[in-house]
Amino acid sequence: MRIANHPILGEPEVREKVTFTHDGAEIEGYAGEPIAAALRAAGIVIHRYTKKYHAPRGIFCAIGRCTDCVMVVNGKPNVRTCVTPLESGMTVDTQYGAGGERA
Amino acid sequence: MKRYDLIVIGAGPAGLSAATEAASHGLRVAVFDENARPGGQLFKQIHKFFGSKEHKAKIRGYDIGRELLKEAESLGVEVFLNAPVIGLYAEKEVVARHADGVRHYKGDTVIVATGASENMLTFEGWTLPGVMGAGAAQTMMNINRVTPGERVLMLGSGNVGLVVGYQLIQAGCELVAIIDAAPRVGGYGVHAAKVARTGVPFYLSHTVVRAEGTDRVTGVTIGEVDASWQIIAGSEKHFDVDTICIAVGLSPSTQLLKMAGADMAEPAAGAGFLPVCSATGETSISGLYASGDVSGIEEASSAMIEGRISGVAAAGKLGFADAETVETRLNALETALSALHEGLFAPRNRGKSVPLTDEGIDNSQHLLKNGYLADDEVAKYPGVKRVSGVHPIIECTQNIPCNPCQDACPKQCIKVGANIVALPVFDETSACIGCGQCVAACSGQSIFLVNDDIGDNLASVTIPYEFLPLPEKGDVGTALDRSGTPICAATVTDVRAAKAFDHTSLLTFSVPRDEYMRARFWKKGAAV
Repeated sequence: MRIANHPILGEPEVREKVTFTHDGAEIEGYAGEPIAAALRAAGIVIHRYTKKYHAPRGIFCAIGRCTDCVMVVNGKPNVRTCVTPLESGMTVDTQYGAGGERA
Repeated sequence: MKRYDLIVIGAGPAGLSAATEAASHGLRVAVFDENARPGGQLFKQIHKFFGSKEHKAKIRGYDIGRELLKEAESLGVEVFLNAPVIGLYAEKEVVARHADGVRHYKGDTVIVATGASENMLTFEGWTLPGVMGAGAAQTMMNINRVTPGERVLMLGSGNVGLVVGYQLIQAGCELVAIIDAAPRVGGYGVHAAKVARTGVPFYLSHTVVRAEGTDRVTGVTIGEVDASWQIIAGSEKHFDVDTICIAVGLSPSTQLLKMAGADMAEPAAGAGFLPVCSATGETSISGLYASGDVSGIEEASSAMIEGRISGVAAAGKLGFADAETVETRLNALETALSALHEGLFAPRNRGKSVPLTDEGIDNSQHLLKNGYLADDEVAKYPGVKRVSGVHPIIECTQNIPCNPCQDACPKQCIKVGANIVALPVFDETSACIGCGQCVAACSGQSIFLVNDDIGDNLASVTIPYEFLPLPEKGDVGTALDRSGTPICAATVTDVRAAKAFDHTSLLTFSVPRDEYMRARFWKKGAAV
């Protein structure tokens, strides 16, 4: 859920709305925000499935340390979505295993 | 290879302070940071800081960050962002990765201010989406402006757990509970109290049994632990949550110091390795310093002072400042730092039970076990005096380094004294005018204004209020006690907001006269 107004921080600055795709579906987000933030705002919490146990993973540290939130972005696997800025037209896909694998 | 008088690694509170201090003595300084934005974790700190005026007390973290950046900029400090340092060698050679390639730099001195990362705790289901660090939740809501979830359980009652818990409520999430395996609240009592009075229960001696859900968190089971940290059968409790935040401490990010070959040691067995440092933060390698959390976990206020200490030491080492200048500056900074190291939360008191305050009053065990003071013990503290007419009730009961209330009062009603960990004393002979400056200035939100008689057998209570929507005069609602339990009907009689209050509004409501010493929060609507 986006925080429309905040008692301390006020309203978020006006940002450019962009569209991108998540597993083929079109989603809206704001240019420059972390991909993970746009996904969370759209209700998406599963970023990848692990290679061995096929266990779901999502945001864990949100500052680019833990690599739990990596996804396939514009065809490139292992992109840390919590620190990678969203751009218009990006393709963001759930990562299976080390990337390049299918569900 | 480009050369600098000083290279600082990390643009957080310690690093930026080190850089500005050194630059103010004339050093040519470069700061490297892996992030797109400087400030480290300062910009997600939206609460008012503790300390004294010199420690930037009562200023919110992000404003301190802005001030520091401005200062660094005006002194000509070069800040390289998106530039992770990937190598540090004993000769003080720094290797950074930039967008266009890897470059080598040489620092005549180097200050490592890489901070710390969050500790984790493993339990069944801990890898499910929805389990995250408390710092992650804080980044999501305060930087990215997206809530991490709707219903959240906080694991950990240290200051991070308490502060982030409060911020989750501010962001509009429901905080279902704060739990901790320890038998006592680990953070400041005032941070706990401001969460507890909104109705959030504390479960001490409890930990997570399992996170539930298949694809994401849908619930959590917690249980009480015995003296050997095992779950007591039958003590399990379930909550429907979509998010579990973990706030179980931080570990210093010492990798670069180890890489450089600086001596490391464990302060106590199992405590983790820290760089061996002199009083100025200098490591076993001459001219290589460690500052802030990387040299031992504390908090941002002390990190900023430590950064300045290392910065002036580097200036002295390279001959930019004479011995006398360095000594004078170091003395001032070390005095400020030691003031932050006093009181109940002093490093020497870590993990210990301290029965009495410095004033010889009982430290509230009720506060440590429940997150709030018991009604019958409030009057024991020197900030609480019952007189007629409008006056403050200062529910500040632990020796913590903080004194903005003393400066806030235009009538000098409140005295902390030179020792900033002393409990504030309300002078009942002075003339409180009910301006509310103290209520807004208290970083711990532990000052309330009361008026025991406003007519019609009613009293008024003024509380600090930092939530939305802001109530309006005339709103009918319910007063809650310190535990967040509804106690009586309460009508809003005044709502004050002022620039000087810095986003803390003052909410005044009326209650029956016999309830003004208990009513400490307000909610719209009738009690259920």
